[in-house]
Amino acid sequence: MDKSAAMNEPILAVDNLTKAFPAGATPILNGLTFRQEPGQFVAVVGPSGCGKTTLLRCIASLMQPDTGSVLHRGRHFDNPPPWLSVVFQDYNRSLFPWLSVRRNVAFGLRGSGANDKRVDEALRAVNLEHAADLYPWQVSGGMQQRCALARSIVVSPNLLLLDEPFASVDAQTRIDLQDMVMEICQTMSLSALLVTHDIDEAVFMADKVVVLSTRPARVVEEIAIDLPRPRDQLATKETPEFLQLRHRVYTLVRKQAQKLSR
Amino acid sequence: MTARGRYITPLAWQAATILALIALWQWAALTYPAVYLPPIERIAQGYFQIWHGDLLHSALLPSLRRLGAGFAIAILVGCVMGVVLGSLRSLDPWVRPTIEYLRYIPAVAILPASLIVFGATDQMRIFVIAFGSVFPVLIAATDGARRVDPILLDVARAVGLSTAERLVRVVLPASLPSIFSGMRVALSIALVMMVISELIAADDGLGFYILRNQRLFQTANVYAGVLTIGTVGLGLTLALLAVEKRVLSWHRGWRGLTETGRG
Ligand SMILES: Nc1ncnc2c1ncn2[C@@H]1O[C@H](COP(=O)(O)OP(=O)(O)OP(=O)(O)O)[C@@H](O)[C@H]1O
Ligand SMILES: [Mg+2]
Repeated sequence: MDKSAAMNEPILAVDNLTKAFPAGATPILNGLTFRQEPGQFVAVVGPSGCGKTTLLRCIASLMQPDTGSVLHRGRHFDNPPPWLSVVFQDYNRSLFPWLSVRRNVAFGLRGSGANDKRVDEALRAVNLEHAADLYPWQVSGGMQQRCALARSIVVSPNLLLLDEPFASVDAQTRIDLQDMVMEICQTMSLSALLVTHDIDEAVFMADKVVVLSTRPARVVEEIAIDLPRPRDQLATKETPEFLQLRHRVYTLVRKQAQKLSR
Repeated sequence: MTARGRYITPLAWQAATILALIALWQWAALTYPAVYLPPIERIAQGYFQIWHGDLLHSALLPSLRRLGAGFAIAILVGCVMGVVLGSLRSLDPWVRPTIEYLRYIPAVAILPASLIVFGATDQMRIFVIAFGSVFPVLIAATDGARRVDPILLDVARAVGLSTAERLVRVVLPASLPSIFSGMRVALSIALVMMVISELIAADDGLGFYILRNQRLFQTANVYAGVLTIGTVGLGLTLALLAVEKRVLSWHRGWRGLTETGRG
C-alpha cells in the first residue's frame, strides 16, 4: 500500500453499518456512518441499550456487520487488527482471575513477556506497579480498570476502543481515570473511541461527539468539540464554550430519550 | 466457621477411636479364634510387608503404575475432549448423545470385552481404569468450558490469540475448578477399577495379592491388602487435594470475594 495514501486515510471509517440479532430481524444498528481521523478522540453517546457495545464489537472486528463496512486505514479485517485495543465494559469480568495484575497486563502481548519492559512501562503509566503481583480480585474497582487499561496500551496500539470504561466506579476515581486516559492518549498519540452515556464525560474528553439515536441506532449528529487541550476538570468545565457544547449534546440526547419513553 | 469448629474432634479423640477399634478387634480375635478374625499383629505384619521388599514390587507398585497410567489417560482425554466440546457448541449435538449414553455403562461391564480385545495384559487393566474414570473428568471439563465468561474469550480474541491458544490459555484455566471436582470423583472410580481389573487373570498387583491370599486362607494378608488399598486411596486423595489447593488458590479468593460481593 502507498504510504502517503495510508497516512491520509481515516484511522477508522464506519460506513452504513447495519446489524440485527438474529440476522433479518429488526436491526439494532441501522445505517451507521462516521469517520475518525488519526489522533482524534471520538466519543459516541447514546441511550442505554441502543447498541453501543454491538457497534464497538463490529468496529473491533469481533463481530461482522450484516451490511456496511468497517475500514481501518482503508482496510477490512476479519479479526481484530494488532494495533487496535479494546477496554471492555465489565472490567471486573474482563480480567483473568487466575492471573496476577502483571500477567493480566502481559496478556496484552499475548502473554509473551511476563518480565517484559513494556509491561513495566504500562504498569507505570497507570500507576499500578505496587499492585503488580496481586490478583485482580484483590484490588479496588479503579485499580482493576487501570489494569484493563494497562493491558490495552501495552502493545502500543494506534486505536483504543473504550466501552463505558468509567461507568461503575465512584466519582473521584472516574475523574482520575478520565485524566489518566487523556494523558495516555496524548503522550502515546493514540486515537481513541470512547463509548459512554455520560454527556459531560464525552464533551470533556473528546474532539468529536457522535450522538446515536435510540434503537435502531444511527448517527443523529456529529459535534466537533474544539476546546483547547490540555483540559482541566475545573477550568475547562467552567468555560462558556464547554457549557454551550454540553447544552447542545444534552438537548440532542434528551430528544432521543423522549422518543424512547413515548 | 464457628458452627463447623464445634464438630471438629480433637486429634487425640480421633486417635482414641482408632485405638479402641483395634483393641476391640484384638479382644474378639483372642476370645473367639476364627479364620476370619486373625489377630492384629498378623494383619500388621502383612500390611508392612506390602510396603517393602518383594511384595512392594509384585503387588503395590504394579497397582500404582496401572492406576497412574489409567488415571493420567483419563485426565488427559477428559480435559482435551471436554474443553473442545464445551467451547465448540456446534460439535455438541453430534457428540453429546454418545457421551451421555457411554457414561451410564458401568465400567465393570466392559471388563470381559476389553479382555477379549487386549488379552490379560497391563493395557487391558489400564484401559478399564481409564474408561471408568474418564467420564467424570470429561463432563466436568465440558461444563466448565461452557460456563467460561464470553468476555474473557473476547479479550483473548482482541489480543490476537488463535482458537487453539484460547482453549489452552483461557478455557482450560477457567474450567480447572470444575475439572478438579471431576477428578476427585474419577480418582475413587479409578481405584475401584484397578482392584477389579486385578482380580481377573492377573499375576501381580494388590487385587491379585488379595485374591491369592484368600485362596491360601491367609486371612490376615487379605485384610492387610484391603487396608493397603485404603491407604493408597487416602494418600492419593490427599495428594490431589494438595495439588488442587495450590493450583486453585486464586479460585477460593476470587469466589470468596464475588460471593460476599453478591451478598
Ligand atoms: N450476541 C447477541 N445476540 C442477541 N442479541 C444481542 C447480542 N448482543 C447484543 N444483543 C442485543 O442488542 C441490544 C443492544 O445491546 P448492546 O449491548 O450493544 O447495547 P448497549 O448500548 O451497549 O447497552 P448498555 O448501555 O447497556 O451497555 C440489546 O437489546 C441486546 O439484548
Ligand atoms: Mg454496552
